[in-house]
Amino acid sequence: MATAADVKKRMVRINGCVASAQAAKYADVDVIAAYPIRPYTATMMALAQMVANGELDAEYIVADSEHSQLSISHGASSSGARVFTGSSGVGVQFAYELYSPISGSRMPVQMMIADRTLDPPGDFGSEHTDALSTRDMGWLMGWSCDAQEAFDNHLIAYRIGEDPRVLLPQMVCQDGFFVSHITGDVELPDTGQVKEFLPPYKHPYPLDPRHPVSHGPQIMPEQGPPLQLERARAMEESMPVIEQVHEEFAKIFGRKYDAWLEEFMTDDAEVVFFLQGAHAVTARFAIKHMRDRGIKVGMVRLRTIRPYPTERVREALSKFKVVGVIETNMGLGSVSSGGVLYSEVCAALYESDKRPLVMSFMAGMGGEAIVLKEFYWMTEKLMEAQKRGKIEKRTHWVGFEH
Amino acid sequence: MPTIEVQRQLLPILGSPNQGARFFNPELPSSEPFVPGHRTCAGCGPSIQYRMTSKAAGDNTILVGPTGCMYVANSSYLCTPYNVPWAHTQIGSAGSFTAGVAAAYEAMIRKGKWQGKFPNIICEAGDGSASDIGLASISGALYRNHDCLIICYDNEQYANTGIQASSRTPYGGMTTFSPPGPEVPEGKKLFPKDLARMMAAGHPHCYVATASVGYPIDLMNKVRKGLNNKGASYLMVYTPCQKGFVYETPRSIDLGRLVVECGLYPMWEWNPEKRAYDYSFRPQTMRPVSEYLKLQGRFGHLHAEHIAKLQKFANEQWRMMGVELPEALIQAADAKNLVNMSAAAEAETVAQTI
Repeated sequence: MATAADVKKRMVRINGCVASAQAAKYADVDVIAAYPIRPYTATMMALAQMVANGELDAEYIVADSEHSQLSISHGASSSGARVFTGSSGVGVQFAYELYSPISGSRMPVQMMIADRTLDPPGDFGSEHTDALSTRDMGWLMGWSCDAQEAFDNHLIAYRIGEDPRVLLPQMVCQDGFFVSHITGDVELPDTGQVKEFLPPYKHPYPLDPRHPVSHGPQIMPEQGPPLQLERARAMEESMPVIEQVHEEFAKIFGRKYDAWLEEFMTDDAEVVFFLQGAHAVTARFAIKHMRDRGIKVGMVRLRTIRPYPTERVREALSKFKVVGVIETNMGLGSVSSGGVLYSEVCAALYESDKRPLVMSFMAGMGGEAIVLKEFYWMTEKLMEAQKRGKIEKRTHWVGFEH
Repeated sequence: MPTIEVQRQLLPILGSPNQGARFFNPELPSSEPFVPGHRTCAGCGPSIQYRMTSKAAGDNTILVGPTGCMYVANSSYLCTPYNVPWAHTQIGSAGSFTAGVAAAYEAMIRKGKWQGKFPNIICEAGDGSASDIGLASISGALYRNHDCLIICYDNEQYANTGIQASSRTPYGGMTTFSPPGPEVPEGKKLFPKDLARMMAAGHPHCYVATASVGYPIDLMNKVRKGLNNKGASYLMVYTPCQKGFVYETPRSIDLGRLVVECGLYPMWEWNPEKRAYDYSFRPQTMRPVSEYLKLQGRFGHLHAEHIAKLQKFANEQWRMMGVELPEALIQAADAKNLVNMSAAAEAETVAQTI
């Protein structure tokens, strides 16, 4: 392990996009597949400059579409190269066909996503629907809430995904603009730390002429279920690896993240927000202000949604009286007629002896900031439900009600 | 950054005669990267092409197979005909997946993560993949000039899905998406996309050529030229489909010659250094299109006017190659003359007069 003396860390002030590019550089990626779409583009701009400057030796490919980006990544990862790609919004969807083939062939491609609302119409703002719509495709997936966490999550995700016990692709998500374009202090590690944490990528069965293998041959219907089961198990069995990697990350880099959930001021909380991503930063301030006024409110932030930590969510949320799910995504015609997080929360709580009331807030939609007074308003709704002992309605569109 | 120079393979060009080679060729390696035992149909043109192509390439090769016959009929889980690495990719990912493999090897060799000569990277895309859904991905790979060879095995239709029209299906070709009927007597109304010329015109730095399974040595030499070219190459190969064309199984190679002899499949090479087409390939004889059409059930519904249209199309191809047209072929492009000839026997006599 590196000692403090020989570690050359440095603080820089960069945004989430550049933090992601820095992480790819530290991971010494071999192949980068780029295609422009706001807001993630800045990551690829930064990487292009690093390659042009000779700071990073990688094949930088300007692809002809997101579908091609993911196909290039699939081909390169299948050959044994460490791959980095990314996208936003409708770009994530344009590549949709590739998500299942990549996880099905167990290629640990890494994709950075800076969220963007889906069309129509062309809205640049962050909404998690782009990445969340792919959540069941066999990719590891989670959100960071600031640039430092984004940097860290990329390295952590490579380490988990490339672990021979896991071999799964990863979507490393950050909110468009709130993380991707807001600068913050980021500690860039010493390359020795990264070397210690992230061994070189070595796939067990790459496309290598010396050891011929066939990837993805046609199967008969009865051969499908065992392969699907294997992929489902890979997801489940990644869970202990995810925890172990987070612990090792903390040892080497000194930043400790809970792999699954961040709990903020939840010790004696009666009502909590449950959310993902950047709005957690505002939530922390709002909660502090409300705590000053004696309101027992807290926050549980989901850091990893795939694999979904069902037990952890149940244990964490069963303690409270009311849970307000902040969606930041669209689940048109879904269980709650709001977003898709609600059903993930409710399903986790179903087997609990102490089920809190759960309601869903459609907030931060279209990339709107969730401002402090909206957090206060939502908290009032949670407290009203606590008082009443039941919810008024499942889904509130914040800003459209009094 | 210290980098390792990438070493590339150089495959010798076969000295055997360009035409009529149906004998054992000692110049070819004995290894078989593509072995029997797969589930392709008897007489399958694409799989004949596959064997020739992979044999010409040798063992330091990686094959990419977008969805199509050569994926569905060749590869069966727990059983594979490929003695070299092979990967399936999506039908629209022909060029992009291949580009990923090529980029990976460039980076891995340069960074010392893989030792050896740069492998031959060959993509075997059907004409549906190459002319329709994967066109942009292939154009991207050619444009960016990855060191790879992209082959379109052109059986002029989507065959493994049950014979549907593609942009390469010829005028008058019957498929399940272009059936003839009283309102549409010719079946397919559109002429095929001139895919290979499109690739040559749009990516003039690439080696581009057309070939046919009827001329094995020529095909294998074009494969080797494509692989030897440092950068991207594109090869479009005529590969008849017994199931879709509806012909007698043993006649695949004959069709591969007839299609060239009747001018429906012009054979040429695009020379990226000279930036010019090379039309020096000449079939031994020229024939009217009817001789090619009459062997195939997919053209059985055509009327004289449709055959004349196809002859006119073939004549345009000959002219593009700078070939002077015999009077008989000019006559055959007029439906009135064809009606006079009417009988197949008469059409054959035309051929002998050329």
